[in-house]
Amino acid sequence: MNAEADLDRVRSTLECYDEPLLREVAARLARPRNQWPRDELIRKCLEVLENPPVLDRRLAELPDPARSLLAIVFRSRQPEWPLASLFELLMALGQEPATVGATIQDLFEAGLLYPVLPEQTTRFGSFGYWMSTATEGPLYVLVPRPIAGRVRPPETDWPELGERLALARPLQADGLDWLLRLGVLWQQVRGMPFRRTQGGGLFKRDVERLSQDGLLNARAADALIAVPDQGFLLAEVAERLGLLVPNDAELRAVDLPEEWNEGLWSALSGIVPQLFRLSDWGPVDGYRPLSNHNQPFASAYLLVLEVLRNQPVEEWVAIDLLQDWIQERHPFWARSGVRPSQRGPWLEVFLLGVAWPVRLIEATRHEESWRVRLTEWGRAFLSGQEPPLLPPPFPKTLLLQPNLEILVYRQGLTPALLRRLTLAATWKTLGAACTLALEAETVYRALEAGESFESLSRLFEQHGTRSTPPGVLDLMRTWANKRERITLYPTATLLEFASARELDEALARGVTGFRATDTVLVVASEDQIDFKHFRLAGSRDYGLPPERCVTVEADGVTLSVDLSRSDLLLETELPRIAELVERQTSNNRRIYRLTPESLGRAREAGWSAITLENWFQQRLGISATPAAKLLLLAPMLDSPRLRRLVVLTVSDSALADGLEQWPITRPYVVERLGPLSLVVQQDRLPALREIATRLGLRLPEAVEELPG
Amino acid sequence: MTIAAMGSGSGGRIPVKLHKRVCLVVTEDAVLAEEILARRKLAGEVVGRLTERVLLIRPGRVEAVLQELQKMGHTPQVAGKSA
Repeated sequence: MNAEADLDRVRSTLECYDEPLLREVAARLARPRNQWPRDELIRKCLEVLENPPVLDRRLAELPDPARSLLAIVFRSRQPEWPLASLFELLMALGQEPATVGATIQDLFEAGLLYPVLPEQTTRFGSFGYWMSTATEGPLYVLVPRPIAGRVRPPETDWPELGERLALARPLQADGLDWLLRLGVLWQQVRGMPFRRTQGGGLFKRDVERLSQDGLLNARAADALIAVPDQGFLLAEVAERLGLLVPNDAELRAVDLPEEWNEGLWSALSGIVPQLFRLSDWGPVDGYRPLSNHNQPFASAYLLVLEVLRNQPVEEWVAIDLLQDWIQERHPFWARSGVRPSQRGPWLEVFLLGVAWPVRLIEATRHEESWRVRLTEWGRAFLSGQEPPLLPPPFPKTLLLQPNLEILVYRQGLTPALLRRLTLAATWKTLGAACTLALEAETVYRALEAGESFESLSRLFEQHGTRSTPPGVLDLMRTWANKRERITLYPTATLLEFASARELDEALARGVTGFRATDTVLVVASEDQIDFKHFRLAGSRDYGLPPERCVTVEADGVTLSVDLSRSDLLLETELPRIAELVERQTSNNRRIYRLTPESLGRAREAGWSAITLENWFQQRLGISATPAAKLLLLAPMLDSPRLRRLVVLTVSDSALADGLEQWPITRPYVVERLGPLSLVVQQDRLPALREIATRLGLRLPEAVEELPG
Repeated sequence: MTIAAMGSGSGGRIPVKLHKRVCLVVTEDAVLAEEILARRKLAGEVVGRLTERVLLIRPGRVEAVLQELQKMGHTPQVAGKSA
């Protein structure tokens, strides 16, 4: 799944490459023998990435530093890295600074490393130019997992920093602390999303929430060290994890990760890669938004873990020794001019405050200092090996009390149970025994996520140390029943049959759904339909713009619907604005007529001139007809007037213009009716006649009467 | 070609017209549907009434409808979501 996602991103990136660049990359990666078109070249490149033997040959041709780099990046399981971190890793691994850029450029040209381009990018012409823009903002690269996972790293001389400690008492976390706190954060953000400023930072209100919240920031009873700005660290991890997603100017909580249902290792495997993508939180200063000040730490964390991975399994490493080793080699600390504060004990915060709670490492106290080593799982995770087996959990681990409070003993808590409890109740306290509150809103939240009264009852029975109190069950049933009253189908699929008999036959064949009418069956999702039973007579996607399937006759009010192209929206909407005239004509059309009464109903339902115009444009592709507008709008306009007028008709429009403009004749003109006709004042007709005579125009003595 | 014109032989494939990605509100009874239609904000989102209990919602307005129903004090279940 992850590999497929990476390859999709590779495809999108290759599609942006200018043709000369694409041919250059393809020449090294796919080695085509002919002059293939662009699409074919991209396809061949992707084929190589999915073909292990060929890919292995390409990787074997890389120089040692490039292979070391890909191999160490793969340890993180994070495919997207800051470009600067790759430079840092290569230099820390011993490559000369002058040649680091060339190694990375070579990986780009070999099609084994890809730039992460902004979404709107359509063209990309040069790796060198792109890398030169790093001064304008951080650049990121994609190290596709199918590539990095196959690299055989060259032999590297890792330092021997470990020692055996005969009387060491290893301290290992249960791995649940971060999951619990992420659950708390999820609940808080679901109730009230975070808001972002235009600059991308958080609003003051949310900064205060994250910095002051007791559950997010409280130091756990078994914590080895205090973590600065822990709430912000969790928020950033949650965002990288996809638990919180940007939506306009907000950060909203979406579904809790499915991996939590697959056990502790799966849940932690989702979190660890995000530690290498932190940008707003660092172990020295805590939260510093939009500063990217975690930059040197991402590569440093990875180096630390790789050094630990290369120590004998039983040996412990002193943290200060490890920090010294990193600082001697990492270009950020090895350069001159590094402030003393930047050399502070940052590694202790990372290892004991971040890596320890997620069970990457275990720790022990020895001679007044902390020693660490990888846990069995940490070693398996970094090495890409099968995780160790966990002891079976104690299923009976919670107590649901009559006052709707739930007490959960941590020993029996699993990520799957934690996830379901996070949905169904509100976390109140965290510790060796945690407490939650069951409320109407939280039960509804769980029901909305797919739970039912029965599944929640089973959950509390299965994990409860005592039976669920009857009063609590009654309350849950009441809340659940209330919810059964309305069902919203966001993307239902409707099967429309020719007759009720055929719908019955479909049900008899095992098709499941809700029968809306005699001939319409509602299915919650298209995935639930077995299409082998059906022959499609038509298909309409309501996510697409409405189809133009109506025509109007010359009278402007008779509408003819093409039934083979119409949809339910139209068929339910039309009766609200028009009268049915003929259900089905011989040429498969349905005839409606707009009438004063039908459009009166539409008007009462809120239809305006704009609604009518939009409907005509969507369904007919033309403006609303004047007759339709008349029927809809007539009652909404000022009453018309009936008047007897004296109309002066001249032989030339220039003459009419002159009479209307000349200040002497203008007061006599009441209104212009057309190019040649003017309404004039009847009682001042003699005076106008006199003026006209002076001009040489002769107005008739009498006013003509119209026939009839 | 219409669905009726295609016909189905016994045991053969049944002809159907498929309506995809339709947004619906289904109520327990007709009175509840009337209550929804009487709510001005919701009435604007309802394109039509398929049956007395089934309301057809304007495409892309699910969130707005859900929020408005919740404001009315309802707790609608959303079909097609898994735990």
